[in-house]
Amino acid sequence: ASNGGGNSNSPYSASSPDVRPSSPLPATNSSPPQSARRASGRLRRGPTSSPSLGGFETPPPPGRRTPSGAGAARQRQNWTGRFPPTPSTPMSTDDVPLSSEAGEEDTPETDGGGVGADATPVFVWGTNISVQDVNAAILRFLRHFRDPRDAGRVDPVMDEGKYMRAIHRILELEGGESLDVDAHDVFDHDPDLYGKMVRYPLEVLAIFDIVLMDLVARMEPLFEKHIQTRIYNLKSSICLRNLNPSDIEKMVSIKGMIIRCSSVIPELKEAVFRCLVCGFYSEPVMVDRGRVTEPHICQKEQCKASNSMTLVHNRCRFADKQIIKLQETPDEIPEGGTPHTVSVLMHDKLVDAGKPGDRVEITGIYRAMSIRIGPSQRTVKSIFKTYIDCLHIKKTDKSRLHIEDSMDTDNTNASKSSEDGHVTDKIDKLKELSKLPDIYDRLTRSLAPNIWELDDVKRGLLCQLFGGNALRLPSGANFRGDINILLVGDPGTSKSQLLQYMHKLSPRGIYTSGRGSSAVGLTAYVAKDPETGETVLESGALVLSDKGVCCIDEFDKMSDNARSMLHEVMEQQTVSIAKAGIIASLNARTSVLACANPSESRYNPRLSVIDNIHLPPTLLSRFDLIYLILDKADEQTDRRLAKHIVSLHFENPEVVEHQVLDLSTLVAYISYSRKYIHPKLSDEAAEELTRGYVAMRQRGNNPGSRKKVITATARQIESLIRLSEALARMRFSEVVGVRDVTEAFRLLEVAMQQSATDHATGTIDMDLIMTGVSSSERQRRDNLVAAIRDLVMEKMQLAGPSMRMAELLEEVRKQSSMEVHQHDLRVALGTLQNEGSVFVHGDSFKRT
Amino acid sequence: RRESEIHRRRKAERMVGPQYDLVGNPLGAVRATFERAAAAESGGRDPVAAFRSKDWGASEVFRSFLFEQGGLDKVPLLDASNLGLIKPNTLVRFRGMVQDMLGNEFYAGAFKDGSTWRTNKFTDFSPFAMPHPCDSHLWERHLFHCVPVPGQNSWTLESSPGPDLRQMANCLTPEQREKRKRDGDDDAMDVSENGNGGSSSCSKKPKEDDVQIPSSSAEMPASENVPQMNGNDHHIPGSSFSCLVKIYDMPESQVKLNDVAEFIGVYTFDPELAAPNDNSDDIMFDLIEDVTAQLPPSKVPRLHCLVWRKLSSVDFLAKHPAVEPLPSLLKGIRQSLLSHLTLVLGKDDLAANCLLLHLLSRLRTRVDVVTVGRLSLNFTGFNRESVSIFGKQLNTLIQGLMPYSQAIPLSIEYLNTATLQPRKDNKSGRLVTGVLQLPQGAHLTFDETLLQSGSLASKGVENTVLLKNLMESQMVEYDFEYYKLEMATDVQLLTLSEGKSNILPSDLVVPFRASTVSAVNATSEELESWRWYLATVRSLPQSSEPEIYQTIQDEMVSAMRNDRSLGCTELSRWLTMAQITASSFGEKSLSLEHWQMAKELERLRKERMQ
Repeated sequence: ASNGGGNSNSPYSASSPDVRPSSPLPATNSSPPQSARRASGRLRRGPTSSPSLGGFETPPPPGRRTPSGAGAARQRQNWTGRFPPTPSTPMSTDDVPLSSEAGEEDTPETDGGGVGADATPVFVWGTNISVQDVNAAILRFLRHFRDPRDAGRVDPVMDEGKYMRAIHRILELEGGESLDVDAHDVFDHDPDLYGKMVRYPLEVLAIFDIVLMDLVARMEPLFEKHIQTRIYNLKSSICLRNLNPSDIEKMVSIKGMIIRCSSVIPELKEAVFRCLVCGFYSEPVMVDRGRVTEPHICQKEQCKASNSMTLVHNRCRFADKQIIKLQETPDEIPEGGTPHTVSVLMHDKLVDAGKPGDRVEITGIYRAMSIRIGPSQRTVKSIFKTYIDCLHIKKTDKSRLHIEDSMDTDNTNASKSSEDGHVTDKIDKLKELSKLPDIYDRLTRSLAPNIWELDDVKRGLLCQLFGGNALRLPSGANFRGDINILLVGDPGTSKSQLLQYMHKLSPRGIYTSGRGSSAVGLTAYVAKDPETGETVLESGALVLSDKGVCCIDEFDKMSDNARSMLHEVMEQQTVSIAKAGIIASLNARTSVLACANPSESRYNPRLSVIDNIHLPPTLLSRFDLIYLILDKADEQTDRRLAKHIVSLHFENPEVVEHQVLDLSTLVAYISYSRKYIHPKLSDEAAEELTRGYVAMRQRGNNPGSRKKVITATARQIESLIRLSEALARMRFSEVVGVRDVTEAFRLLEVAMQQSATDHATGTIDMDLIMTGVSSSERQRRDNLVAAIRDLVMEKMQLAGPSMRMAELLEEVRKQSSMEVHQHDLRVALGTLQNEGSVFVHGDSFKRT
Repeated sequence: RRESEIHRRRKAERMVGPQYDLVGNPLGAVRATFERAAAAESGGRDPVAAFRSKDWGASEVFRSFLFEQGGLDKVPLLDASNLGLIKPNTLVRFRGMVQDMLGNEFYAGAFKDGSTWRTNKFTDFSPFAMPHPCDSHLWERHLFHCVPVPGQNSWTLESSPGPDLRQMANCLTPEQREKRKRDGDDDAMDVSENGNGGSSSCSKKPKEDDVQIPSSSAEMPASENVPQMNGNDHHIPGSSFSCLVKIYDMPESQVKLNDVAEFIGVYTFDPELAAPNDNSDDIMFDLIEDVTAQLPPSKVPRLHCLVWRKLSSVDFLAKHPAVEPLPSLLKGIRQSLLSHLTLVLGKDDLAANCLLLHLLSRLRTRVDVVTVGRLSLNFTGFNRESVSIFGKQLNTLIQGLMPYSQAIPLSIEYLNTATLQPRKDNKSGRLVTGVLQLPQGAHLTFDETLLQSGSLASKGVENTVLLKNLMESQMVEYDFEYYKLEMATDVQLLTLSEGKSNILPSDLVVPFRASTVSAVNATSEELESWRWYLATVRSLPQSSEPEIYQTIQDEMVSAMRNDRSLGCTELSRWLTMAQITASSFGEKSLSLEHWQMAKELERLRKERMQ
C-alpha cells in the first residue's frame, strides 16, 4: 500500500479552494518513495535546519504525532476521507524518521503542479499554509509573546517572553515534556497563526514541535527529550452534539463528563527481536502504522538463519495509551434527548489524567477513521468512527462536594476556573440579583408564587432554605445552622402545597407524610391499614434528607416513636440506630419543615396551640418558627385562587407576576448562597441582638401582672442568630447587619404572636411552647387545686366514704366563680393524688 | 452467488429505465435522483459538495409515491416475524418507539468512482467498490434505536398491515437462509425455518398467521400472563426485536426520546457485516467500539430512513373514517361506550363515568411544577377476588381501546425487583430501558390489591419514588450514572386498590361498588368506533369563551365558602373534569352545563366517600 497522497476531503476543499487543483490529481498517489527522500531533504534546507536533526533522531515521541511536520502531514492524508490501506490505528505516526519525513514530499510536488512554478515557499499540501511562514510565526510567538499581566513588572530576569521562561523551566527541571500553550495568547499575538492552528492543527502543531525542538537544541544541545506542545483554552468551545463532519481534522475544544476510562494500554513503539539460533539482538524496529515487520533473516552475518527472529518483550519500548469516553453534561442536553458521547484518545502523560465522573474540558483534534470489515479484507465500510485525539485535558472542577446537585458543581467550576464563561455569566447574574435593593421581597414573591398571602410564612421558609451557619466549637459543642419550621393550620390552607414547593426547591428534599415516617433506616416499609386497606409508605426520611429539608406532612399523625427520634434530629442532628447490638449514629443534618392539622378538624382559637395540636412541648420548642395558618374566609383570596386555576386551565396563564425569579434561578441562587456565603455577625448586630433579647424578656414583666411571664428563652436567641444569618445570606452579604437582626426579631415575633399568644391574656408567653401551659393557665390550675384541697379537707373524713367526681364538680362550681370542666377537675385531682391527699379510683375518690 | 449475479444484472437493467420499482429497488431510485441532481450541479468543480445534509430530491420521489400514489400499502411492515423474509435493500416500514439515541455516524456519503460521483446515502455499504484512495465526502446521519412500542396492543397491528409476505418468502434465497443459520441467531433461525417449511405451504396458510406471530414474539403484554410483565428480559433491550434506524438530513432535535413514529426506508442486511467480528488483534476497534457493534445486524435490522412521520393514536385506527367529529355523532358513541363501561364495571354508573373521563384525559400543559389536564384514577374497594373479575375485564377492555397499555401487579416483590427506571449503561453506551420508559399517551394499570405489608429494599424505595413522581408531576427520572435527567411523560394511570392508595396518590379516588357481574363482549365494530372516539376526542382542540371564566370563578368561590377544605388541587381537578366532560360530548368549549355535570359527579363521589 503506497503512501496515499491525493485529494483532500470536503472540509479541506471547502476551506482552501484556491490551492486545490481543479482536477483531481492521481499523480500524487504515485509519488515514488525516492522523491520523498528528495523532498525531505529539501525541507531540511528550510528554516528548520540541521539542529533539528537532533530532534528527528531522537526516538519518536510516543504519542499522537511525530516530531516532524512531515509525518503529520502524511498522516493527515491517511485519515481524511480517503481510505488508507490499513485503517488500523491513528498511531501510525511513529515511523522510522526517514519514512516519516516522506509525507512532505507531496508539498512541493503538488504545489508545483497546482500553484505554479514557484517552489520556494513550502506549502503544506492542500492548504495555503506556507511552512516557512508558520515556522517564523511560531518562532516569533514563542520568543516574543509577553503576558500582558507581566507588563507592569520590571524585572530583568523576567524580560524574556512567557513561553521562553517556560521552556527554560522545562530545561532546568528536565522533567516536563510538554509545553502548555494558552490559545488565547496565540490569538492575542497572532490571530492568523491561531486561525491556521485551529484549522490545520496537525500541520501547524507539527511545525510547532519542530520549532520548539529547534529552540531547545540551540539552548541546550544535549537535551534529548522531545517536548510536546499542548494547546489549551481555545477561543470557542464546541458543544459535543454539534460536532459534525466539517470539524474533522480541526482543533476543537469540548466540555463533558468522563464516563468511562479504559485500562492503560501499552502500545508497542519499538520492537526488538532476537535470533533464536545465535542470540543476536536486532536493531529496534519501529512500529509503522500499527504494524511491525518481523525480520525474516537474522541480520548477523555469521548466522543468517531465516525465520528465527522472536520478539523480546522486555527490550521493546512501549508507550501508554488510554481511551476515555466523554459524555455531554446535563445542561447541554436538549429536552427529550439523551446525552451524546465521544471517544477520546489519551497518550503518555495524559493517561489517567481524568477519572470517571470528572467534568473536563478537552482540547484535541477531531478525527475519523474508516472501518475495515474483516481482519484480512482490504475493503472498507463507508462508515467512519470518530474520536478526539487529546492534546490537553483540564478538569473543570476539582472539588465536587455534591455530585447529585448539578448546580453546585457548576458553581464550583466557576470558582475554580474563572474563564468558564457560561457559568461565570450565571454567577454574575446571581450576584447582580443579590445587589437589588428589593431582593428579599423578590425572593419572597418567587417562593410558591401560586400561593398568595402568607408572606411572612414564606419569609420564614426562605430563611429555612438559606439556613444559618452551623458551628462546631473546639470544645465539641455543636450549634446547628438549620432552621426548623412548623406550620399549623386549618385544612385546605395550602400548607401541603407550600411543603411540596419547598421540597422541589431544596437540594435533597424529602417529602413524607407523618403517617408513615419511621425516621430511621434507609429502607422503607409498606404498611397497610387493616381496616381501610389504605397503603402507606413508611420511609426513613430523615437520614435520606441529610443536608436538605425534610418536609413532613401530617406531622400530628406521626407515631410517638418516630417523633421521639425527631428530638435527637432536631437538636443533635444525628439519628441513632440500634441494630444487631450496634448503635450507629447517622448524620441527619436536616431542616425539618413540618405541617400539622389541628386535632379537631378546625383550629379552635380559644385553645392554645398545644391543645390544638397534640404535640409534646419538648418537640415544639425545637422549632424555630411556628406559624399558625388560619383559614380566614376571605373572598378576595378565594377569588384570586379561582382565577388562577381558571387561567391555568385555559392556557392563558395570567400575566406573569413581574420581578419573580423562576424556579431554576431560585434554586441556583439558594445553592450558590448556601455554598459560598458564610456571614459573620457584626458587632453592631450582636449588640442589637442583645438589646432586642433583653427587651423581649422584659416584656414579660408587665407591671400589672404578679407573675413573671417568660417571653424569650435561650433557644430563641439561637434561632435569632440563625435567622439573621439566613437573612444576610439572601443578600450574599458576608456580614450580618443590624437590619438582618431587626428583621429576624420581626419574623420571630410574627411567628410567636400567632403561636405563643396566651389566649387568656393576649401576651406572648414562651411558657406555652416550653411547657405547653401558659402561666395564666397555670395560675388558674393552681387556684383550682387549692379550692379542691380545701373542699376535700372540709367535707370528707380521712379514709371515709368516697365521693363521686360529678358531685365534686357541682360543689366546686357552686363555690367558685370560675368555669370548671371535668377535664380540669381530673387534672387537679391528679395533682392532689400526687401530693398524697386523695386517692382516685375510677370516677370516684377518697381522702387518704 | 450466481443468483446475486443475476440480481445485480437485473438491477442494472432496471437502472436504465426511467421508472424504478421503488419498493423493490429503492436504492436504484436514490441513485438515479442523485445522478440527475449531480448532473444538474455539474457546473461547479465539486458538484456533490452541495448535497451535504441536504436532500437532492430522493425523499421527494418517495414521499409522493407513498402518500400521493398510495404506495404506502405496498410497503411491507418490518416486525419480528418477517425479519428473515424481507429481502435486503428493499423498502420497508417500521413502527416503533425511539428507545435510545445513539448519536450520529459519519460515512463517506459520496465518492468519485473514476469520473462519476456515486453516493452511499441510504446504505451501509457501497454497491460499487470504492477505489480506495479516492475523492470522498464525509456526511453524517443520526442513529436511533427503535423498539416496538412497549405495551402495544395487538389491534394496532391490524390497522396498517403490509402487503402479503408470501411473495417475500419465496424471494428469499436458500443461501441467505443458510447465512442466517450460521450467524447462530436463534430468533432468525426460528423464523427462517418457519419460512423454510412454509415456502411451499405458506401460500396455503391462513393470513392470520402473520398476525399471530408478532403477538407472541414481540411479547405483547396480556392480562392473562401478567407475571410476564415483571419478567426479567422483557424490557432489556436486545432481547426482543428492535431496529436501528438511520435518519438523514434532519436536526436531531426533531426526534425525541420515546417518540412513536413510522419510519419508511431501505432495509439493509449485509451478511459480510453480520459475520462475527473476532478480529481482536486490532485493539483500537475494541476500544473505540461502537454501540452499534452490540446490535448485530442479523438481529437488529438496519433501516435507512427515507421518510418518517410521528404517529399519534389516530394513526393506529384501522381506517380513517373521514368523518367530521360532530357532537351529535360523538354523543352517540359516548353513550354506547359509557353503557359498556358501566356493564364492565358491574353496573357502577359513577365509576364508569369517572373511568370515561380518565380514559379521555391527557396532559395539556405544564406550568412550572403544575401539570394540567391529567386525571389519574384510583378505584378503591377492590379485593383479590373482585380484581380477578372486574380487573381482568377492565384490562381486556383497556387493551382493546388504548393503543398501548400495560397492567402492573404492584407487590412488594415487584417493587423490590422490577427495573422501573431507565438507566444508561455507560459500559455498553446504551440506555437500558425500564418499565417507565413509555411513549406519550401510554396507559398503566396498577393492581395494588397484591400489595401486602412488608419491607422495601433500597430499590423498592427508588421505585416508589419514581412512581410517585410519575403520578404527581408526570416526570420520570432517567439514571445517567453520574447525573439524573428528568423526562416529561404523559401517561394515564389507573390504580385498583383496597383502600385509598397513598403510595400512588391519584387525582381522583372513587370507591368502586359493583352490583352485578356480567360478562360482556363488545363487537369489533363497536370497539373500532370507541377507539376512534377516544382518539378523536383526545385530540380535539380545547378553547373557551371568556364569558365562562367569570361564572366558573364565582362557582369556585361559593364552593369554597361552603366547604373550607377545598383547595387548589380539588378545584383544579373539577375544572379538568368539566373540560373533559365537555370534549367527551364533542364540544370544543366548556359550557356551564358540563361544569355542572362535573360538579354533580364530584358530589356523588363525595357522597360515596363517606
